[in-house]
Amino acid sequence: MRTSVKAMPIVEAIHVLAAATVFGTIFIVDLRLLGLPDTRRAVTVVCREMLRLTWGAFFVALCAGLLMFAANAHTYYGNTAFRLKMLALLGAGVNMLLFHRLTFRNVAAWDQNAPVPMAARVAGATSMILWVSVIFLARWIGFTKGYDFRIPPNTHINFQF
Amino acid sequence: MRLVHAFAEWLQASSASNTIQSVSWVIPLLQSIHILMIGVVFVSSLMIALRVLGLMRVDQSFEAVWHRFAPWMWSALIVMAGTGLLLVLGEPIREFTALSFWIKMLLLAAGVTSTALYGHTLKSGARARVRGSQEFSAGAKAMSILLVALWLSVVFLGRAIAYDREVWGALSLHA
Repeated sequence: MRTSVKAMPIVEAIHVLAAATVFGTIFIVDLRLLGLPDTRRAVTVVCREMLRLTWGAFFVALCAGLLMFAANAHTYYGNTAFRLKMLALLGAGVNMLLFHRLTFRNVAAWDQNAPVPMAARVAGATSMILWVSVIFLARWIGFTKGYDFRIPPNTHINFQF
Repeated sequence: MRLVHAFAEWLQASSASNTIQSVSWVIPLLQSIHILMIGVVFVSSLMIALRVLGLMRVDQSFEAVWHRFAPWMWSALIVMAGTGLLLVLGEPIREFTALSFWIKMLLLAAGVTSTALYGHTLKSGARARVRGSQEFSAGAKAMSILLVALWLSVVFLGRAIAYDREVWGALSLHA
């Protein structure tokens, strides 16, 4: 893919679009957890309708991201912004898991027209911060990764044209 | 085109452009905000489109869905325009000499105008609805799919600016 100049912009565009969709859809859930714009729409309904789209977009972003990583694995692996992005992604995953396993259990008590408990608000705010960080760090990779021009070992280059 | 290039060169040499270029974190920061806003605009328009198609929030009226998402969409579009303008100011030659940039601007103008008209028509008119129901006509549904496709194209063209010659070949303005 690294050598196919046509593939790179397409895969990158798909990755950006899918990542933006993940952020946009999860942002709606996070806002609801903060009680915004109001508490009239049930948390369970918002989660059900948005998270389908989030997971779909996440899967697309993951596939495109894996292709980008495979094309430049060595450069990405050594890049600090990339490592921090993976850490932020992991953090977002842990935050979601904790929310679903602990806070979401008694959602019936605050599902609709009721104040959102502090634990859910914290989960929503944490999710927002982590996903914004993921996007910022991801864009930062492009400005810091440089290019790997090293010739792989055992490659024979014929300089006699 | 020579005039546009001369203007881009003049802009690139300006002190405002130099400031954006010289501080290493400004362009990635602006691009990140730009991408976050793409997420808000795209998902908001998707929600509205899915409501018209009867696939999302069918328990709510179209007006309620429009009022929930349209303000987010317009506000994010304004921030996107602001960060976009600063990005153009920072790298005018890169942008003005990319065919993708000009097609993106055209589609953006078409997207903003048709979204405003579409929202206005759907809110005000029973014309867009199947008589006596909340169901929308085939035309309104087709328009909602077209608008989502339009926003998708805008995002693709935005990423393609960095690869103008590779994407457009002989048509590229870089050549």
